[in-house]
Amino acid sequence: MSQQVISYADLSIINSALRSISSDMKGVHSELGTLNFKQDQLESELVKLADYFSDFVEADLKHKSLQLAETRQGNLKQDLQIKFGYYAEVRRMATGILQGVDTGVISEETLRFTTEEVMIKAPGYWLAPALVSLSAWIRNDKVATEKALKEALKRDDYKTTLFFMMVMRRLTRNDASLKWLERYFMHQNPHNLDREFIIILEAVSTGVFPPASKQLMMINVKNWIDQLTQGDNFIDKQKSQWIKFFEALGPLPEGKYPLLEKFSTNWNSLENSLKEARTHDILNTHFKNIISSSSDFSKGIKVQLDEILSLLVTNFDDEELPLQEQVRLNQLIIQMDGDKAVAQSIMDAEKHIFDEKVDFLQLLTNASFNTELSGATKVTQALAVSISQPWILEAYDTFTAQSRNRIPQSIELSIDDYKTSTKDGSEENEILKEQETYYDKVLETELSKISFPYTTIIIGILICFLGFWAFSVHTILGFIGCGIGAVIIWSSISGYNKSKNKILETVEERKLKAKEVLRGCIAETVDYRMEHSTEDSNAEEARDLISSITPEDFSSVSHETARSII
Amino acid sequence: MARIILHNENISFGTDKPNLNSGFISDRDLLKKRSKKYLDLISALDTKTLTDTKGMDELIKSIQEEFGTAELSNLPLGILSKCFLGHPYEVHTLDLSGSQIIKHYKTTDTMEAEFEKARAVAKHNAYAVVEIYKDKIILIREDGTATKL
Repeated sequence: MSQQVISYADLSIINSALRSISSDMKGVHSELGTLNFKQDQLESELVKLADYFSDFVEADLKHKSLQLAETRQGNLKQDLQIKFGYYAEVRRMATGILQGVDTGVISEETLRFTTEEVMIKAPGYWLAPALVSLSAWIRNDKVATEKALKEALKRDDYKTTLFFMMVMRRLTRNDASLKWLERYFMHQNPHNLDREFIIILEAVSTGVFPPASKQLMMINVKNWIDQLTQGDNFIDKQKSQWIKFFEALGPLPEGKYPLLEKFSTNWNSLENSLKEARTHDILNTHFKNIISSSSDFSKGIKVQLDEILSLLVTNFDDEELPLQEQVRLNQLIIQMDGDKAVAQSIMDAEKHIFDEKVDFLQLLTNASFNTELSGATKVTQALAVSISQPWILEAYDTFTAQSRNRIPQSIELSIDDYKTSTKDGSEENEILKEQETYYDKVLETELSKISFPYTTIIIGILICFLGFWAFSVHTILGFIGCGIGAVIIWSSISGYNKSKNKILETVEERKLKAKEVLRGCIAETVDYRMEHSTEDSNAEEARDLISSITPEDFSSVSHETARSII
Repeated sequence: MARIILHNENISFGTDKPNLNSGFISDRDLLKKRSKKYLDLISALDTKTLTDTKGMDELIKSIQEEFGTAELSNLPLGILSKCFLGHPYEVHTLDLSGSQIIKHYKTTDTMEAEFEKARAVAKHNAYAVVEIYKDKIILIREDGTATKL
């Protein structure tokens, strides 16, 4: 009954409904496809937007900190102007007065009036009484000169000394300048020198100051060196710095020995040793350059003096420093387009350079290593090298001895599991022979791994026998048995021969290749040793050069003594 | 009370000059230039036969002269130098620690550990003689200048 109902049921409506649903679904699908596409598009747009936004935020932050820095800088500068504005004015006045006196267009009254006014306007500042003293000196007023000078010295003895030393030299009052220079040296502590000392050293050594000052400087420098070299640690510190410097100068590897690089197990030490040996030549040219450099005398002494003077005078005074530092930071932020972190890091680096107070030997070393950073010229570098010559030579000797001690005595090779070592490649024949015997052994062991197929052969023989016996039962059975046995024997023997031949072939191939490599390695070893010894012999040349550096400028006072220190 | 002690300490810290050079003098003495006589004697070890006791005595005497009043512990354990006897021989040592024996080593021979580590530099032409100490090695050039390693 129920079956009938089903057979008569009309499913066409359902069918058509299903069809329409499926067509509808198709529409939905295509709709979904476009939706997906649109969503992807939207997403990428959104990502773009997010990127833009974060860029914008960053730029905005930078912009804001830039604006802030600009305002702050303005404020700080105003602050500086209010608190120390007169200082800047006084500083400008110092060079102004000197140049005015040069041309002789300023009347004594103006000089007197302006300097005395400065004295009132900038209380506590050392340069004000110094200028008053200078103007009094120009108009021959001894009492006022001395009074003002005393006051200036009371306010800042060191800077006043420096100032008058430069001014006296500029006015070519050599004796007075020498006296001030003497006083200046008395101020210096060889354990703790100001950075500007290198400028003075430079000025004296290039002949900006009168010749007698050179003598004076040499005596002082000699005393300092005596003082500093009494203890071993100062010299040792310089020596180890020099050794590090020598080590750092090593050239980059060239990849000249590709086979050794690949097959030598101690290649790293070989490479380092060669690098150290190559350093000697570089050092040779380095020191040659220093010695042969000549000074730039194109600038007139007066111009040079003015530069030093304005440098010294415009160097900010201590009480201004905190404000000046902040100004500098904001300036850097502006320069870096508002990037605070970068500005701070630059600031930190600068601070490190400028804050450092160094001992005399360190100052010499700095000047010899890097002239630009230490603010010296080539002339000072040569001078510094010549003063430091005794311990440079010692350091160089130590460096050479160390590098020679580190020369690997043998070159360890590992080619296809065959390990050997060679000194200089002269044992080529022995090593090649050794390698041959090594491969003979390899062949032996490889062959011993495959055993002769006795069992299968015996089985084959047994089957053969069975076949013979089977002849008595049935001839065909007998033939079949004998055939199977023969096939088994033949295939096992030929299989054995095949694998044996294969081993022979592969070992032979390995041997040939390894031999080639070994020959190449030995050839490279010979080259390596040759290059190493020529580079190493450069050390003697460089040593001769360094020991030939004599502190020429020191010859009159301390030629012998400077050398006998060690 | 504590303050006073601290203060005193500060004072002694300021005047540390006297003990600055203790310990360094020995180093400077060590690195002084060696005499020509000493170098000649050591380098003549190959050519002269020292089997007779007289020659040996002379050698030891001159070495003692060279190191002056140095304490026994500051004397080198031995002296190592390049051997010019010819091929298989590479370096020779003069043992100063007690046996006072001159020994020639072939390229294949190994020496005692203290000596072995200076072998490479001893073979180098730049150095005439290598003095082996307990804790250091001193290289002497032909002209007598010394370098510590």
